[in-house]
Amino acid sequence: MRLSRIRIEQFKKFRQPIEIKDLEPGLNLFTGPNEAGKSTIVSAIRAAFFERHRSGSVDDLRPWGDTSASPTVELEFAIGDTHYRLLKSFLGKKRCELQIGTQRLDSAEAEDHLAELLGFRYAGRGASGSEHWGIPGLLWIQQGAGHDIRDSVTHAIDHLRTALNASLGEIASSGGDSVLATVEAARNELLTPSAGKPRGVYAEALDQEAALANAIRELDSEIAAYRQKVDTLAALRREHAADEAEKPWIGFREQERAAAEKLEAIGRVEETLATEKLRATQVDERIRLLHGQLETFGRQEKELETREAERESIRQRLEGATALVEEWQSKRAEAEQRHEAARETLRLARQADTRLSLTRELDAGRLKLKNAAEALARAETEQAAVVELKRQAAVTEIKLKDLELLRDQHRQIRETQIRLDTAATRLRFAIEDGRSIGIGAESVTSKGERLLLETTPLTLPGLGQLEIAPGGSDLSQLRAEAKELADRHETLLQRLGLPSLEAAEARYHTHTRQLADIKTADATLKALAPQGIEPLRTELAVQQARVQEIEKALSQLPPETPKAAKLPSVAEAETAEESGRQSLARINDSLHEARLAAGKEQTAFETATRELAAARAVVDDPQRPDRVAAANRDLVDARAEQSTLVARIEVLTRQLAEARPDILKQDIERFRLSAEQLEKRFNERRDQLMSLQVELQTTGAQGLEERRAELARDHAQIQRRVEELHRRADALDHLLKLLRDKRRALTQRLQAPLQKHLNRYLQLLFPAACLDIDENLSPGSLTRVGSNGSELGDFEDLSFGAREQMGIISRLAYAGLLRDAGRPTLIILDDALVHCDEERLAQMKRVLFDAATRHQILLFTCHPAKWRDLGVGARSLEAIRSGT
Amino acid sequence: MIKLLHTADWQIGKLFGQFEPDDAALLAEARFKAVERLASLATENRVDLMLVAGDVFDAQGVADKTIHRLFHSMAGFEGPWILLPGNHDSALAESVWTRALRLKAIPANVTVCLQPEPVLLESIGVAVLPAPLTQRHTHTDLTEWFAGAETSVGMLRVGLAHGSVQGILPEDIDSPNPIAPERAEQARLDYLALGDWHGTKQIDPRTWYSGTPETDRFRSNESGRALLVELSEPRAVPTVTPVATGQYRWHSEALALQVPSDVELALPKISAFGPADVVQLELSGQTDLDGYRRLCVAIEQARGNARSLLADLSALRLEPTAEDIDALKADGYLGEVIAELRASQDGADAEVAREALALLAGILDAQHAKAGGSL
Repeated sequence: MRLSRIRIEQFKKFRQPIEIKDLEPGLNLFTGPNEAGKSTIVSAIRAAFFERHRSGSVDDLRPWGDTSASPTVELEFAIGDTHYRLLKSFLGKKRCELQIGTQRLDSAEAEDHLAELLGFRYAGRGASGSEHWGIPGLLWIQQGAGHDIRDSVTHAIDHLRTALNASLGEIASSGGDSVLATVEAARNELLTPSAGKPRGVYAEALDQEAALANAIRELDSEIAAYRQKVDTLAALRREHAADEAEKPWIGFREQERAAAEKLEAIGRVEETLATEKLRATQVDERIRLLHGQLETFGRQEKELETREAERESIRQRLEGATALVEEWQSKRAEAEQRHEAARETLRLARQADTRLSLTRELDAGRLKLKNAAEALARAETEQAAVVELKRQAAVTEIKLKDLELLRDQHRQIRETQIRLDTAATRLRFAIEDGRSIGIGAESVTSKGERLLLETTPLTLPGLGQLEIAPGGSDLSQLRAEAKELADRHETLLQRLGLPSLEAAEARYHTHTRQLADIKTADATLKALAPQGIEPLRTELAVQQARVQEIEKALSQLPPETPKAAKLPSVAEAETAEESGRQSLARINDSLHEARLAAGKEQTAFETATRELAAARAVVDDPQRPDRVAAANRDLVDARAEQSTLVARIEVLTRQLAEARPDILKQDIERFRLSAEQLEKRFNERRDQLMSLQVELQTTGAQGLEERRAELARDHAQIQRRVEELHRRADALDHLLKLLRDKRRALTQRLQAPLQKHLNRYLQLLFPAACLDIDENLSPGSLTRVGSNGSELGDFEDLSFGAREQMGIISRLAYAGLLRDAGRPTLIILDDALVHCDEERLAQMKRVLFDAATRHQILLFTCHPAKWRDLGVGARSLEAIRSGT
Repeated sequence: MIKLLHTADWQIGKLFGQFEPDDAALLAEARFKAVERLASLATENRVDLMLVAGDVFDAQGVADKTIHRLFHSMAGFEGPWILLPGNHDSALAESVWTRALRLKAIPANVTVCLQPEPVLLESIGVAVLPAPLTQRHTHTDLTEWFAGAETSVGMLRVGLAHGSVQGILPEDIDSPNPIAPERAEQARLDYLALGDWHGTKQIDPRTWYSGTPETDRFRSNESGRALLVELSEPRAVPTVTPVATGQYRWHSEALALQVPSDVELALPKISAFGPADVVQLELSGQTDLDGYRRLCVAIEQARGNARSLLADLSALRLEPTAEDIDALKADGYLGEVIAELRASQDGADAEVAREALALLAGILDAQHAKAGGSL
């Protein structure tokens, strides 16, 4: 079905006519804000189809407040190749015209034709309700009703079923469901619906069967017990009859008596035997005494021999011991000698050792003495040197002040001399060889120079004299000064005892050297005798005394023997002496022991000798031979009697042994007890028989086996019933299962075309999901594959948004199904999918776009932005109203 | 000439659990009736002696009233009865017989042979040599002593025993209570009356099993009879005449249905059973639904006609024909269910499938009947 033009006039919101032309065969998107009239367009389309034009219940179609209006809707559409034009006016001017191609229908005829064509019904009276809407009710989704699909499906179900059957070309079982219900009811009478456990008559039958089987078991055991008792009774009776016939206890009583008599006879034998045994005991005792006597005699003789032998043995031992003592004594002498020699050697060795050490000490002492003497001598010499040096130093002592005064005087003299010289007249002469001239008192030859300080005559041999008087006034002062200085200098020199300054210098030099020498000599002395000479002297005296002492000790030592060289060392000698001493001590111990042993043997020997004497005294008793002979005689007699007695006792014992009185006594007891037992048993059995008989009679009267037979009969019957019910229950269960399976399979097969359409859209929304369709063709459970695996949810449990999406998908699927069946489909969505999130909405747009390739879809929305990507241009209602 | 009536295996007190309670009660009752008939038969035929060769009672522990009832049932014959304990009612230390004696239920004309000793009936010149079982089972031949039992010359020697003649009854080769096959000859018996075998059977001219007078099991040929024995003189060959005494005929019918006409043959057979028939019916083979329906109807009717009818259809396969299915109007998935049930009659759940198929057919029939009725 394809709507191409809508014209509305005086209709609800539209007082003025509004016309929508050139509708697209696929998607048509109408936008407009709330109150723009979207829903009015939808309700105009609905009214054009659903309401009879003559209806009086459509006042709400009028524009508000306009009571005279005639709401009019004019639609043009095509179904297949046929063009339709519908004009419908309500209320004021009631009119309905339907132009089908060239044919024209009016009024109710037109309306009925439309209803048939689109698949809806008219209300009998009043306004049209959803129950009348059929297919359009399913496909024309009213605002906010997209999710509510069940009722819509119910109202369209006949058309859907027809479409399905038409597509499948098959019909479902006509009576199938009633058969199924019958089978189910019959089955549930016998089995619980879910667990399949027996119930009702079946369960009762099973209970009865079990109860009977139990009762039979109980009765069986009673019967078995009864039979056992019957057998016991038979056995008891047999035994009782046998006993009554035989009376076996009488035989036993007789046997008992016979055994008692036998026992009595054997009792007499026993007495005789006892007497003989007593006599035999007495004889035995006598023989034993005689034997004792004889043995005593023999023992006495033997004792003598023993004593002799013993004394001899002790004697030998004594000798041995004595010899041992002697041997030890000689050994001790040797040891003593050895020990003595060792001691001597030790003494000598020690002496030699002392001598040696004294000699060494003496040498050392002498050396020390010599050293001390030398040290002393050196120290004394040095001391003398020091004294001498000090004496010399004292002689040559010159005070440094005097020396310096001398030096000063000397210097002044020289200076004065020099001034004199300077002032003096220099007389230089050169005399021919062999001639001389006198200057003053001096005769001079050869060349020379003289300074003349005073008027000096010059004698020139051969010529006369010449006087030369030096000029200058101070010369004479200088000469006086020089004279005074020379005098002072001379005086000092005289006081000092020295001829000249040079001598003074020399003396001072000598004195200084001497002082150094004294210092050196003092140091030397100090080194030689740090504490002075006296300690050295004491040392010397000490050493001297020591040397004397050692010498005295040495002189007191015995003279040195020539053997001394061979002596061992003291240590060796000490070891030898120690071992010799120990050896001696050991030998002494041994000797002591040997002596003790010898002493003991001596005592023993004496005792043995005494005992021997005593023993001999006994044996040598003169009456003894007679007593021995008498004892031997008595023994022979006793032995003869004994052998007689033994033979008799043997005979009697054998008699007794053969008779076995103990066993005879037991026999008597046994026979007596047997008889008693048998009699007792007989009596008891009689009682037992009676009681058992009574018991069996009582039990027998109960007719156990007949009762068992009755129970077995009832059991067999109930078992048969159980079996029948079991068979029936099994068969019904099986049948029910099979019916359900086949029915389900058939339903699925029938719904396959619808499922195919549904899957197509569903896959776009939820890949790999599966939406079941229930028997009423409504969406059932949705199986989705999520991150947690498969999730199963009932349609009713889905969120509102999801239900709306599923609802739309389902409606699109129904549309597909209807279209396949040749029914006209037009899909109207009034403000649908407002609860969709963006992602879902995007998927739903794909779904709608896909559906629009097969169906015309009118989509009204107040959210134009949301639908921009639908692939069609949106038509604004305002624009349509304003005619642009 | 002496006339005696030989019977055995009355099995008084036996109950029949395999049948419906009412039928079972009648069958139990029939055993007493058989005894009554034997008594009248003996009286009618002027019989000199009645011999009962063991298993008079089915069990030792029958109720006292059963004991009384039995002896009352025997009142119709006032001549001598010789009763022998068998393996079901052996002469134990305490037995049904000792109880009967205690209850003073045994009439004067009835002799119970509790001991293996001759019963001399001087008046009619008969010496009865009984071999009563004194234990439940023996493995020695209790008739051994017959040969050594001396009887006066001119008296007829009649043996009375209960057990299995060796070598004659193949399935009882090792059975307890053996009886030497040539005992009659060897013990110079004029007649040896035997019990234990429920069908009438002749062993030799002088040795017979009388069988039970009232059949009590399906596998028991020639039962429901007694033997009228005429002994003209000692050592003469007896004349033995079987006499029918049973009220009910027991049939075990196995009907194999292969082709549709087999059903046609089976139906009259089933319908032919009357009030004296106790029937065990085993149907095998296959049939269509119509045949099955007719068989069921016939069986239901036969249940009303026959004394008792046990029908086993478990081996019968249902093969609905196309017409059957049409008639059932089993369209849609019902048709598929029927097809599957039909096919699975070959499988492991054959019986369940057959039963289910029968049930389904029944339900459909009922529905169509209702629909048809309401039209």
